[in-house]
Amino acid sequence: MRFRSNLRNIRTFSKLVAALSSLEKIAWLRLDDDTVRFTVIPDTGSQVWASLSVDFIFDSYTLQSAEQNNTINLELPLGPLQRALKSAMNGGPASIRLTKKNGVPVLSMTITATTVPKEKPQGMSSRFGGGPDGGSGAGFGTDEDGFFPAEPLETNLHREHEKIITQDIPVRVLHPETVETIMQPKVREPDVHIQLPPLLQLKAISDRFTRLALAARASSSSSSSALANPALPPPTTSGASPKLELSANMHGDLRLRLDTDSLQVESRWSGLENPELDPAQLACALEDHPSTVFRAAGPARWATVRVDGRDWSRVLSVGRLDGRVIACFSDDHALILYVYVPQYDDVGGEDSVVTYYVSSYSV
Amino acid sequence: MAVLQFTLNENGVGGLRDALLCLGKFSEEVSLEAKRDRLVLTALNSSKSAYASFAFAANRFFSKYHYEGIAQHRDKFFCKLYNRALLSLFRIRSGDPLHEREKDTTIDRCDVAIIDEAGKKSRFVAKMVFRNGITTKYRLPFEISPPVHAKFDEEQAINNWSISSRTLRKLMDHFGPGIDYLDIHPEGDSLVNFTCFTEKVVNGDEVLKKPLQTSIAVEQDEFEDFAVEEDKLHIVISVKDFRAIIQHAGIIGGNISAHYSMPSKPMQLKYHADGIKCEFLLMTVGERGAPGQKTRKARASSKANQPQLEAAVSRSASHAPMPPPQPPRQEPMPSLRPSITRPSQRPPPATLESDSLFVPQDNDEQWEPVNVGDEEDEEDNARLEWDASGDPHPSLRNVRSMAANPPAAEARKDDTSDALNFEPTQRLSQVRRFGLFGD
Repeated sequence: MRFRSNLRNIRTFSKLVAALSSLEKIAWLRLDDDTVRFTVIPDTGSQVWASLSVDFIFDSYTLQSAEQNNTINLELPLGPLQRALKSAMNGGPASIRLTKKNGVPVLSMTITATTVPKEKPQGMSSRFGGGPDGGSGAGFGTDEDGFFPAEPLETNLHREHEKIITQDIPVRVLHPETVETIMQPKVREPDVHIQLPPLLQLKAISDRFTRLALAARASSSSSSSALANPALPPPTTSGASPKLELSANMHGDLRLRLDTDSLQVESRWSGLENPELDPAQLACALEDHPSTVFRAAGPARWATVRVDGRDWSRVLSVGRLDGRVIACFSDDHALILYVYVPQYDDVGGEDSVVTYYVSSYSV
Repeated sequence: MAVLQFTLNENGVGGLRDALLCLGKFSEEVSLEAKRDRLVLTALNSSKSAYASFAFAANRFFSKYHYEGIAQHRDKFFCKLYNRALLSLFRIRSGDPLHEREKDTTIDRCDVAIIDEAGKKSRFVAKMVFRNGITTKYRLPFEISPPVHAKFDEEQAINNWSISSRTLRKLMDHFGPGIDYLDIHPEGDSLVNFTCFTEKVVNGDEVLKKPLQTSIAVEQDEFEDFAVEEDKLHIVISVKDFRAIIQHAGIIGGNISAHYSMPSKPMQLKYHADGIKCEFLLMTVGERGAPGQKTRKARASSKANQPQLEAAVSRSASHAPMPPPQPPRQEPMPSLRPSITRPSQRPPPATLESDSLFVPQDNDEQWEPVNVGDEEDEEDNARLEWDASGDPHPSLRNVRSMAANPPAAEARKDDTSDALNFEPTQRLSQVRRFGLFGD
């Protein structure tokens, strides 16, 4: 079993890993000849299947495995991977390989970092507006010779230096039998598909709603105890996280609602795009597709799901990738986000897609 | 008459603050030792494996410095203070950004007097003069207790190197959280290797919980000088302590130099700036010159008797009430050499908190998931509250009255409420913007 490659697009790679790690600490990485796939399946909450074309993050890619279809399956912690990528981000060329160290398999990242000759330290002598004899180096009294010896001027002739940084990420090699049972979820054809507004905006508003829900609950349900001990978080938060209601129609509208006993808030976006479907990729005729039915039913026909406020916030963290996000709603059933990650330097290349199966709750 | 009086300007306050922050990573207590020509702050950690010392030159670091001494001990004075209390005096205050004149809460000047006389309360008295015209005065109690200085034999420390603190700090940025030790050893003729590791045992399923293992090969040329006698001499120190040091060294700038002899003997790290001399002693672990697997074994056994620094204590009597007066002792303290029977005293493992100082924060924090109810500061965002005053410009009014009566804030602190010029309904939140109280 061999895997080694140079890394590219490290910044984007790192953002992807950051987005994934907000949902779960450990990911399943599947490598084959064409695709790199990261899968994150938390115990509770949304799952992610990120399929990237190999050229998206790798370069000079070598893969050799005895498994069927030349695949390698690994389980790896996202925190250390993210930390290693951060190291690589500020360095020069970086490569990664699967190896064993002290009998333990690791993904070993090697980064060659060059240091530019350093700047001169400046203004040291005037840092403290000291006493009358500020000029000489004999700062202390006469009983201590050379306590502060005069510093020679720095020559500053340093050439560029190279450092080799090795970052070993612990991994576990997964047996094909272990992973073949893990299947990507299957969902029915969506009722509404719509391009989401800028995620930063959507996230800020969603987070605000989630906080409002908690505040409203804290003040209504147990106002006495919450006031008596404001240092404690509201007692019920861990039990039931607030649910947000998310709806969209086939006429470019998106609606985010919070509905509690004591308060009701709603934000609405309009003029969003409902992308055209490609009939060639549909299992049924376009006329019979649920979205056609929804479009015909007019703007009042909403497809609605309820999401968990905290989980939804973690999902929206994918916005850092700057991708185009299409949300697919199955009314009262499911919500799937497709995040198309742009590949800036390779216009013709196949898009990489990160798919979020957002955990949703019936209304 | 005060034992010691000194004045610090803005930069001096900053320098002292940085030193206290660093000392605070070693111990909760800070020992102060004053002489005619210098003020020394030291700290020794609880497992006696790390020692930090900052010496401030009387005529260069301070705007004014006057050492008077006390009757029996003319030449030096010492005491112990609680670091957190000291830090809160010198901390940076957040001002009110809305009001041009009041917002500058920079400490312009600070006058300190240490009073320790018969019949008077022993106090560390600090008067802060802020840019915005406010003056505050603090009195801290202290304990008269002699400082413990760790000993270092410079003769034996034949190995030494020095490197730019900036380079070293950038190097350490590559190390992730969860590691305990740093192994520094030369590799071949031209390389120096920095490797981190942890001794926490992980078994079976938890293999993925192991921390990121980092090793960095640095060219010897990157050091200002590098003289290590023995090839592959592994020297192992605590990452937490080392990080605390280079964090401070990075602020000071310049070069940091290391001196050491062999494993399980202390390593000295020092650097200096104009008016400040910083010196640290770190106990090293491990066995000499054992490469590869053998070293690991040696490391594992080394923790059975974590060595401590040797210490020297000087004692003296004082007027302060704490500890019972003891006769001055001239003979050196018994050596704190390690012995097999001593229980293991490993340095505390590095925590995420300490690491966070070295991990540059991402600027895309807005992508972090909503953190409701988990953190206290979120509470402010979550809870909408009324301003009960009904006054459209409450802050403006109060700022005026504050500026007119600056000492009142201090009076309030001392609980002499008869001196208050405020309405008793003054809201604490309205006074806070002056930075007089903790946030």
